[in-house]
Amino acid sequence: MGGIKFIIDMGLSSLVYAAIFIFAAGIFYKVYFEYYKTPQPLKIPQTPQPTDSFGVFLRMAGDVLFFRSLAKGTKLLFVAGWLFHFTFLLLLIRHLRYFIYPVPGIVTMFNKVSLLIGIVMLLSMIVLVVRRFLEERVRYVTLLADYFVLFLIMAIVVTGIMLRHEPFRPDVTAVKAFIMELMSPTTPLKLLTMEPAHAPTCFMFVTHLGLVCLLLIYFPFSKLVHSVGYFFSPTRNMVNNPRSVRYINPWDKG
Amino acid sequence: MAEEKAPDTKHHSGADREPNEIIQEYIKFEKIKYYPVELTGDIEVPKLTPDALVMVKPQLLTSKEVLARLGYPENGLRPDWKEVFLAKMDEILKKYRSVKLFLDICVRCGACTDKCHYYLGTGDPLNMPVARQELMRRVYRRYFTVQGRLFGSKFVNGEELSEELLAMWYTYFYQCSECRRCSVFCPYGIDTAEITMAAREILNSVGLVQKYLHEIIDKAQVIGNNLGMQQNAIVNALEFVQDELIETTGVEDIRIPIDEEGADVLFVTPSADFFASPHIESLYGYAKVFHQAGISWTMSTHASEGGNFGLFIHNYEHMKKINKRIWDAARELKVKRVIGGECGHMWRVLSSYSNTMFGPFDYLDPKYPRPQHICEFTLDLIKRGALKIDKSANEEFTVTMHDSCQVARGLEMGGTEFGQFEIPRGVIKGVCDKFVDMPEHTIRERTFCCGAGQGLLGDDMLATRVKGAMPRMQAYHYVKKNNGVNFLALICAICKAQMSKMLPTYGFPMEEVGGIHQLVGRAIVLGAKEGI
Ligand code: SF4
Ligand code: SF4
Ligand code: SF4
Repeated sequence: MGGIKFIIDMGLSSLVYAAIFIFAAGIFYKVYFEYYKTPQPLKIPQTPQPTDSFGVFLRMAGDVLFFRSLAKGTKLLFVAGWLFHFTFLLLLIRHLRYFIYPVPGIVTMFNKVSLLIGIVMLLSMIVLVVRRFLEERVRYVTLLADYFVLFLIMAIVVTGIMLRHEPFRPDVTAVKAFIMELMSPTTPLKLLTMEPAHAPTCFMFVTHLGLVCLLLIYFPFSKLVHSVGYFFSPTRNMVNNPRSVRYINPWDKG
Repeated sequence: MAEEKAPDTKHHSGADREPNEIIQEYIKFEKIKYYPVELTGDIEVPKLTPDALVMVKPQLLTSKEVLARLGYPENGLRPDWKEVFLAKMDEILKKYRSVKLFLDICVRCGACTDKCHYYLGTGDPLNMPVARQELMRRVYRRYFTVQGRLFGSKFVNGEELSEELLAMWYTYFYQCSECRRCSVFCPYGIDTAEITMAAREILNSVGLVQKYLHEIIDKAQVIGNNLGMQQNAIVNALEFVQDELIETTGVEDIRIPIDEEGADVLFVTPSADFFASPHIESLYGYAKVFHQAGISWTMSTHASEGGNFGLFIHNYEHMKKINKRIWDAARELKVKRVIGGECGHMWRVLSSYSNTMFGPFDYLDPKYPRPQHICEFTLDLIKRGALKIDKSANEEFTVTMHDSCQVARGLEMGGTEFGQFEIPRGVIKGVCDKFVDMPEHTIRERTFCCGAGQGLLGDDMLATRVKGAMPRMQAYHYVKKNNGVNFLALICAICKAQMSKMLPTYGFPMEEVGGIHQLVGRAIVLGAKEGI
């Protein structure tokens, strides 16, 4: 028993660190070297693009928070897509309670509705999957990878919801302790000397966390970089004023 | 004995053929019959019809001289094309954030799938913007991502380079008019036009150069305009226009000035305006506006072309060289303002890119936007009452306006983000009483391309042009049926050429097409201004 527990502790701790490292380094590399550093030679903003930077900020905020560009097209995709992202965000915020002490009020606020949030998220994802399958045009362009992320996230949500119910419910204090231990700066060093953090003995929790790690590792190599990439999209983030303010082509800066 | 061991060439005949031979077979040009659909006024999204338009291939440029001047391979597809292809693609990925980013962040949500006029016209799945991008993305995933390089094309849904893939590129990247409509609806603003421009330049680098577009790029650089008119031909054409003007208006001193140093305004416009129909009617209109406003102006034989086909491929040098003529002429003629005539892509290059390529324009009059659009200029005059207008001259028309995509989805006009819609409409309303807009989803930033933009206006592309014009024709039919519209006002030379061919194809009279300044020209009352 002790042997298996040790293996799980070792495995899970290493996986968590590896995943966070790959995620952070991958995103940093993408954003800094591939998006920020790659020049955009000409101004290609697109109507309705505001003519001042504050306007551009507002437009981008509208796109990010309310999916304004997407809302111009099919409503079903807009609604399902927005609900999915919004509930995802709420659940991320809710998970802060494992990382911050004392737990901020805003986080405890959703205690009662968290199950509902999870279910809405699942339903919206089911719509997204079914739509991919049924809508002829979308099915044509859908790749296996697109289903893969959807199912991966769904699995994370399902295991997450199960974790809150018997008989899968782990010992919450053990979970918190494990996470606190992982966050402590000395834990990675201890890992090297074969003294891993103590994972709660709960199969469902290990699965949940394992899947999250998988998602983090997959993230920088996949279309999921749209989340950070959007902010560098030249049709959206450039100010519509090339006549009045000269835009210098980065190629010419030498 | 040794002889028997010699390689059996017959056996390998498929693999041993030159790449150029293989590709020529794939992209052989054929004349294709085209059939316009019956118009109902509604734009319906068609069912997927694989390969509906796969047989439309543009003609290849084969003139060695021209290819050499443009710096592209002269003998068709290069034997070592795969290396060149990947090197070029790598270069573009490092030089254009747009391309790099757009290849990365598409989630294949499908929001753009029913937004392209070529898809709506054909049902060909590869005309769905995202599917068009995927043609490039498959190569990107295989050769330019870690996972693709490590695990191969199967794992990442990529594709190995092959002549067949190249043929698909050559087909479908010349069925995109870079109109950017898809991008309006994309949650991340992914602009298929950027991908298409990159793809075309990659095709050029390996030796697949489309004829129509590149012949024009060459002419504009070598001779100075898209039609290849020499200086004296331009002077003759413009003098002829001036004679016509004097004759029809009876005004002795109305002029089309050429190369006049010290004029206030340098006016540039597509060379098609010099004699094509209905383009020339707008030229009459411009001349009347300048005449009546009493502003000295000039055209230039050096900058005899406003259009800039260099925009249509990711080859900055071509575009810059063509644009340079305008700014050289502006300095040489010592003008104070530069005004651009009616043309979609010309306006985009002029307004969005000139300042980057040849600014700052401190030698021009800072009171006016630099450069300025003719509609901004005319509307200002109308508003100030500087022109005497007789709207009854346009009484017979109920007008609607086709927003040219490069104007509509390009830059601000009049300093506001929606000026490019309001200013041209303002001009029309200033000279006509009856104006009706086409349905909301077919105008303004959602406007449909005319179907022949950005290098697809050649006769070899007729099948594509007819299919791509369908949405606009439906919308026009709709307002014609419901509001009695009988004039389609345009602000783009390519739109004019395309529409004056498409209207008859779809069963409308050809005369219902014209430029906005054609209407202006009809309504202006020439002669001494009131109160003077
Ligand atoms: S709308 Fe944008 S993200 Fe969605 S499939 Fe089209 S290009 Fe991709
Ligand atoms: S840019 Fe225009 S022509 Fe090209 S794919 Fe998008 S909608 Fe179609
Ligand atoms: S010709 Fe006109 S509508 Fe067509 S692509 Fe050019 S600007 Fe757009």
